[in-house]
Amino acid sequence: MVENRKYMGQFFMPLMVAVAYLFLYLPIFVLVLFSFNNANCSVAWAGFSLKWYQKLVSSPEILDALQASLIVALSTTFLSLLIGTCFIVASRWGGRSSLFSNVFYVNILLPEIVLAIGILSIFTFFQLPLGYGSLIAGHTLLGLGFVIPIVRARFCELDPVLTEASLDMGATYWQTFLHVLIPLLMPSLLASGLLVFTLSMDDFLISFFCSGPTVQTLSVYVYSMIRTGVDPMINAISTCFLVISSLLVFLLCSLKVVDQVLGHD
Amino acid sequence: MSMKAFRKIFADELSFVFSCPAILWQSVFLYVPFLLLVGYSITDFNETTGTWFLTLAYYKQIFASLYIQIIFRSFFLAALTAAICFAIAYPVAYFLALKVPKRFKTILLFTLIFPSWTSLIVQVYAWFFLLEQNGIISTVLRFFHLISPTQHLLNNYFTIVVGMVSCFLPFMILPIYAVLEKMEKHYLESSADLGANRFETFRRVIFPMSLPGVYAGVMLVFIPSFGEFAIPTLLGGAKYIFWGSAIVDKFLRSRDWRLGSALVIVGIMLPVLLTAIVYAFKKIRIYLVTRKSKQYADYLSTHKELWG
Repeated sequence: MVENRKYMGQFFMPLMVAVAYLFLYLPIFVLVLFSFNNANCSVAWAGFSLKWYQKLVSSPEILDALQASLIVALSTTFLSLLIGTCFIVASRWGGRSSLFSNVFYVNILLPEIVLAIGILSIFTFFQLPLGYGSLIAGHTLLGLGFVIPIVRARFCELDPVLTEASLDMGATYWQTFLHVLIPLLMPSLLASGLLVFTLSMDDFLISFFCSGPTVQTLSVYVYSMIRTGVDPMINAISTCFLVISSLLVFLLCSLKVVDQVLGHD
Repeated sequence: MSMKAFRKIFADELSFVFSCPAILWQSVFLYVPFLLLVGYSITDFNETTGTWFLTLAYYKQIFASLYIQIIFRSFFLAALTAAICFAIAYPVAYFLALKVPKRFKTILLFTLIFPSWTSLIVQVYAWFFLLEQNGIISTVLRFFHLISPTQHLLNNYFTIVVGMVSCFLPFMILPIYAVLEKMEKHYLESSADLGANRFETFRRVIFPMSLPGVYAGVMLVFIPSFGEFAIPTLLGGAKYIFWGSAIVDKFLRSRDWRLGSALVIVGIMLPVLLTAIVYAFKKIRIYLVTRKSKQYADYLSTHKELWG
């Protein structure tokens, strides 16, 4: 029994951790490695080169796709933060129960393809052209599902005395919102903003359905490239994706520390 | 009316106005489209008389044909993915939460979660690149004559499952880890003090307490893998049709919107049903536990003479 126990603790579980790491990182490692390969080959190493990255920067299609992705991601982040914060603050101050905000969990819980089909069908039904509008509509729908729970959690932690004091001392609701609430909510706003930005940049399904013939986001472009086969240029784009998202995660993690510090104060 | 009362009413109205955009957005882009889909799926247009009529023919078509098989195939794939993720994630989360020294926890957790932060397409492409005909694994296996020169590693069911598990594994690890990490370690000590061995402690203390995390993890893995489109298409080729790919085909290629809408609605019902079942399980467990404790309390109160 004692041997068995030791076997579980010292051998089995570290092994599972190793399996998980191998599973998650082996493909990514190979992918990044071969983005620096000098030849168009996925086995043989032909020396270090940055030529795929050069090709990437000089390709107008990729730059267009990047621009479209950035436009969509930035407007999505802005809109979902604005709408979400307004909703939380207004419904808490208005004294209505926050029951309504549970409604937004649906956006995360439903399979994403359903949201995509919904956006596609309503835009087609009213004969609106697909493009930036439908992309932003869909991504914001998804973003609200993340912004509202995160900001609400922070709002519920806040001491109501702070806003009451501000109102008692003669500040208007607007001033209280701007000078008291927003700074207090800032960690959660930054965290959820980063989250929504990453989600929107990475999103594939909604972009695939709603981008229409004129606009192409980066992930849809990569998807259509993969359909034609392996190309080291996709490795290079993927590496850029990885670098950017690791930077964003790093930012988010350091913000979490900020959040904890503020929460303990 | 005093100024203060006016301001109060004004603030109430204003707060209502400001909470509207979110609700409106939600309604216009989620609920109205959903009703639209329901409408599409139950109506049809008679071209000879030029009138609209209600029909359940599309639902009948789904239940009578391959489509219901496709939905069950997706359901099975999602369940399989969730089960494998659970089998890998539970030991990992357990190890991370209870065995690893505190200073390593953050970095380990961070590195495990990180891949899910990057685009799903990138993750799928990474597997695609690794497993393709001229990829590293194929070449190595061919070198050792483990596969024949014409054999592909892509385009089979196994590859789809591998891709699914690696993409959704972090969503299972995180909630289980969160629950295990928050658990009071005194419970383990008390369990040991009361004579339970480690296995009993795990079975009767740790595992039941981690169940909320497991439920959350299963939902977080099952639902996206049920509706997944990119992974089966890129790693499985055109050989396997799942719910997601069937929807894409109906809406974007064959433009058969009415059948597609019915397909979407029948497909949604499964996760909804699953959520209801999980919810019911929770309720039943709570009911059983409270009944047990109530019985115990009743027993104590009726046998007061036993303990004075």
